[in-house]
Amino acid sequence: MSDNQRRILDMLAEKKISVDEAQRLLSLIEPERDTETKTSRDTSGRKRNLKYFRVVVEPGAGAAGERVNIRVPIALIRAGIKLTSLIPAHASDQVNEALREKGIDFDVRNLKEEDFQELVEALSDLEVDIQGGKEKVHVYVE
Amino acid sequence: MNRPPLILRLDISKKRRRIALWIPLFLIWPIVAAFLIALVPLIVLAVAILWPFGWGKLLLFSGPRIASCLCALHGLEVNIERKDRVMFISFK
Repeated sequence: MSDNQRRILDMLAEKKISVDEAQRLLSLIEPERDTETKTSRDTSGRKRNLKYFRVVVEPGAGAAGERVNIRVPIALIRAGIKLTSLIPAHASDQVNEALREKGIDFDVRNLKEEDFQELVEALSDLEVDIQGGKEKVHVYVE
Repeated sequence: MNRPPLILRLDISKKRRRIALWIPLFLIWPIVAAFLIALVPLIVLAVAILWPFGWGKLLLFSGPRIASCLCALHGLEVNIERKDRVMFISFK
């Protein structure tokens, strides 16, 4: 039970607020509690130590395609993001142009470590499975 | 900072040919470190000369950033398998 919940129940016990008000306040702090538990924790409640970003590509049933298994340390991606701050402006423009030619509209100067942290936390709670016609792609962190 | 990778494992096979290498990176790092220490006076001079043009900062900070990237390579694994081709790279 969180401090906020306890405080609301205390106020209810002391008859400072009505049952309806207590219910409304409890429902307001519920989303807050949900976001707290959304951090990278395993089923036992311990904080998981996420180290690797994994991409696994497997051929679909009956298909004889390529099998790819990549394990990238999260520390390496972080170090890479920090390295992008040293890219000179004209080089960033060239990179952006090359990405645009490939159909990716993205500015490498907007790459932030905090954004990546959010992505890692999101991936710690879910795994991305993409099943195409010939192959199956599995993206997750461990 | 992580410890740098000590061994690079390369395994490339194509049909009947196979190249399997265990490259001892732990022997290379001391040589690289000695080389960089010897270069420090030159790097400092280059930073001082290039500072007014805006490139000095880049040169000064790129060293530690590249070093942290190299250290973070520890644990990287790439394994690609095709019908008769296999490529495996691992930093241990």
